[in-house]
This record gives sequence, structure tokens and C-alpha cells, in this order.
Amino acid sequence: MNRYRVPIVVAVVLVFVAAGGILIFANQNAGGKDVTINLTVTGATSMSPDDPSAHHNDTVTINVTSDTDGDVHLHGYDLHFETKAGQVVSHTFKAVNTGRFEIEWESTSRHLGWFTVS
Amino acid sequence: MLATGILLHGFGQRYDLPASLFLYLFAAGGVVVISFVLVVLFAGDQVGAKAIQYPRRAVPSLLPIARSPWPRIVGGLIGVLGLLAIVVTGLFGLPDATKNPAEYLTWIYFWAATVILSGLVGNLWYLLNPWAAIYDAITRFVRLGPVWKLPNVGIWPAVVTYFLFACLELTTGMANRPWLVGTLALAYSAVTLAGMIYFGRDEWLEHCEAFTVLFGIVGRFSPVEAERDEHGRINAVYLRPWGVGLLQPGPTGWDRVLFVILMLSTLAFDGIEATAAWQDFTVTLEPTWLPMGAWGFFIVKTTGLVLLTGAFLLIFIAFMEMVIYFGNRPLDLKATVTAFALTLVPIALVYNAAHNYSYVMVQSQGLIPLLDDPLGKGWHLLPAVAAYRPSFALAQASTVWFAQIVLIVVGHVIAVYLSHLKAGEKFRSAQRALLSQYPMLVLMVMYTMTSLWILAQPITAGG
Repeated sequence: MNRYRVPIVVAVVLVFVAAGGILIFANQNAGGKDVTINLTVTGATSMSPDDPSAHHNDTVTINVTSDTDGDVHLHGYDLHFETKAGQVVSHTFKAVNTGRFEIEWESTSRHLGWFTVS
Repeated sequence: MLATGILLHGFGQRYDLPASLFLYLFAAGGVVVISFVLVVLFAGDQVGAKAIQYPRRAVPSLLPIARSPWPRIVGGLIGVLGLLAIVVTGLFGLPDATKNPAEYLTWIYFWAATVILSGLVGNLWYLLNPWAAIYDAITRFVRLGPVWKLPNVGIWPAVVTYFLFACLELTTGMANRPWLVGTLALAYSAVTLAGMIYFGRDEWLEHCEAFTVLFGIVGRFSPVEAERDEHGRINAVYLRPWGVGLLQPGPTGWDRVLFVILMLSTLAFDGIEATAAWQDFTVTLEPTWLPMGAWGFFIVKTTGLVLLTGAFLLIFIAFMEMVIYFGNRPLDLKATVTAFALTLVPIALVYNAAHNYSYVMVQSQGLIPLLDDPLGKGWHLLPAVAAYRPSFALAQASTVWFAQIVLIVVGHVIAVYLSHLKAGEKFRSAQRALLSQYPMLVLMVMYTMTSLWILAQPITAGG
């Protein structure tokens, strides 16, 4: 029994790791769709909706409307929306990076929301 | 509304997607099942000194390298240059943390990556320590001897320094100010060099210098072991399984126990303060801390860190009392607690790696474009890298989750195994050793579950 203990533990861990891998990678979202997200920033302090999301490999268009001139920064994708009061600013990009990326009002580092790509 | 702009991890943002519920349940269930398998398989193992003997293989080809002065010369040079870069760019670079190399070098390359790499390959701090390198360089030309004898303080000064460093990172909200990082690096350098000169190089490093103590513990987890003769000269280099170096006997004391507990609690707090639960808690306490202004939030967070550390310590001691009770042998609590505390190190290290995985893989790349203009003066030292944007190739959510559960489970297995061997050494019969391990197993499952729970929590803004 003694000589088989370590191989048994290694085998159990390997089975667990393999099952985890199958579980994780098989549950990935397909993505690949066109998604349009309209965001409204008010007073350089809040954003609606504040939790936009997309799937991996979606083609995302984000339209930002603000009542204040400024810069809305989407982290992770490093996109800047240079807003003019009342005008729509847009960026279209492919959601290649998964994660939760902060959206903030650049000049004050004010947190506006999260953009989630799953 | 919480104070915003206080960044996570000292500086920079986490992009991780929290692990989903099914993954959390899968990993948690796996931890319990594997723990059960380990206990069944290793029941009736050896006791006494034989229990902690581990396999190791001599690697003669590494001996000339270990004996050569060159690794320490090159490592010391890198360490000194890194320290200089932190001080200069911290003091004279841009105030924006994301555009200042001092922040990347301190919080990602040194604090996150060097700890992880040291656990994986060996104590890199032994080679990189810039203060040891400066001291050694000076003593080649000037004879320096200790002026005073260091009192018998154990490693309490290192515990205090480590706690203060953790506060800087986690509770002050000022870790993202490059000028402060540069100033503190300069001040800590002055104190460390003075301490080495007045109290002796090794005395100061081994008792007062928090990073030397930390990397000494991390290095014991690593697979490289150097054996020295009575003159301190390396006479053999071995490779060993990860973690088993933590079984080696060492000094005992509550200071050492608290240091290991701090390794666990500071990491846990780093994760907890990014959760919605913590945010709700601080919002509830707003009437208390808000009137205190900027100090209020610092006090709340520092109190939280102290309470969490105290809770971890008390829970650990309570479980150790149970271990001794089931082991049915009168043992010195302090020595036993110290010995078993080290078996928790694998859990701390793998959680560190899991927690910081994407931070090290993605955010670390933010330093590359800064090499073109490290001080933000409009220079173009390396125009080729100026437009570099971080790659997410190794940090897609599925890859991160997979790495996290593998790390957490492997660390848990190593910890349970080490604890079992340590019990075999401490208790007289295999049956008693096994009995004593049930409380320890419960504790380790609890710690691992806590790590998994934190990884599964949504990240919130503002800490």
C-alpha cells in the first residue's frame, strides 16, 4: 500500500484538475455577436447602466452620452470617450479580453461602473 | 458613498472575473474529497524523527554556481538598480501611479512576483537584497563591525515592519502615491543600512528586516536546498519536493507564529476588502468614521486588518490546543504552534499566487511602455516600446480560473501532507498522530474554503 500512496494522490489530483479544466473550458460563452451598449453619464459622477456586459469575442459598440465635457475611460481596453455635453461619442471594438473592467471619469478618477466581459 | 480612488492591491486594478458558483462548489468539494483521500492513505504512517525525513537529490552541477560570487553580484546589482529606480522615479516621476515605474516595481515586480517566484524556484531575495549588496560592497573597502549587540528581540521588529508594510499597501489608501513609495524606500534603506552597521549584518537582517524573514520562510517552501559546513560554506545543493523544507526544525516563538499568521491574514484582507460584503460593512460604519475625515477610513481598515489577524491567530491556537489534546502527549504549546504554523505556509503561498495571477500576468506589462519615458519628462529612450499595450493572452477568465483552482488544491494537498508528517514527528503513535490531524484538517479546509470564497466574490470599487 505504501508505495502506491503518492501515485494515488497524484492521480486523484490529476483527475480533479482534468475535470475542472473540462468544466471551465466547456462552459465558456460562445460570443461573436454584435452588441450595442448605450451609457448615460450624469454630473461626471454616475452612469446608467453602471454594469454593462458582453461576451468574449462579441463586437461591442459603446455609445456614451454625458451632460458634462470630459473623458470617460474604459480600463482594460484603454478606450477614452472624449465627451461633449449632450453629444454621443462611440467606440466599436471586439471584446477579446475577459474580465471586469472599470469605467471611470478620468479627470477625477471617479468610479462610474464596471464593464464585464465573460 | 465610499471614498473612491483608493485602489486595490496597493495600486492598479484587478480585472479578474470572480470564479462562478459552480466552480466554487466544484473546488470546495474537491478539497474535501482529496483531504479525505489523503487521511485514509496516510493513516498509520511513521512517527518520530523518521516522519519528517524527506527525499532530496544532490545536484553537483549546481554547486559551482552556488559557490560562485557571481549570482550574488548580478542579483545584488539588479536589486540595487531596482531600489534606485523606485526611489528616483517615485520622487521625480509622474504622480499618476499607473504612469510611474516605482509603483509597478514595488507592488507587482517585488511584492507579488518575487514572492511567487521565490516559492517556485528558491529564495531570490537572498540574491536580490539591495541593502545586503550595498553593505557587502562597502565592507570590501571599509571594515565594519557591530557597534552594539542586538537585544534578544526574536523577530518582533520584523513582525512590526511587515505589519506596517501591509498597512501601507492595504489600509492607508496611499500606496498609489509614488512620492510616498519613493520616500519610504529611501527611509527604509537608511534604517536597514544603519541597523546592519550598528548591530551586525546578519543579526539585523534575520531579526529586524521583514523581507529577509519573509523570503526566508518562502524559500523553505522552494525546491532548492543548500547545505553549509561549519564555516558557512555551501558544500552541497539539493533538489527536494516543494514544501518539505518547511518540515526542518527551526527557532520557535510567538513572533514567528504571528509572522506566518500575518502572511495569511494580510492576503485574506486584500481579497476581503474588494468584496461587496466588506463594502456593506464599511457603509454601515460610515456614521462612525466619516466625521474623522481621511483618517476615518484608514482607522476602519486597519482595525479590520488587526481584528482579522487576531481572529486567525485565536482560531489557530484553539485548533492547536485540540491537536495536542487528541495527540495525547504533553507538548510545549509555543513550540508545537510554531511547528504547525509553518505547515500553513503552502496555503498562504498558493492563495497569493492565485489571487495575484492576473495582476502579475497583465498589469505587470504596464511597466513596458514606461521604459520609454520613466520620469514623464517627454523623453524617448525606447520609442519601440512606447505604444505597447498589455496582452491578455495568459489571463483570459477561463485560464485564470483554471490556474486558481489548480493552485489552491495543490497548496492544500501539500499543507495537509506536511501537517500529517509534522504530527507524526510530534506524537508517539501513528494512531495518535492521525487523531491529532482531524482538527488540523478541519482548519486547513476552512482556510482553503475561505480562499476559494474570496476568489468567488464580485470585486467592488473603492476597496
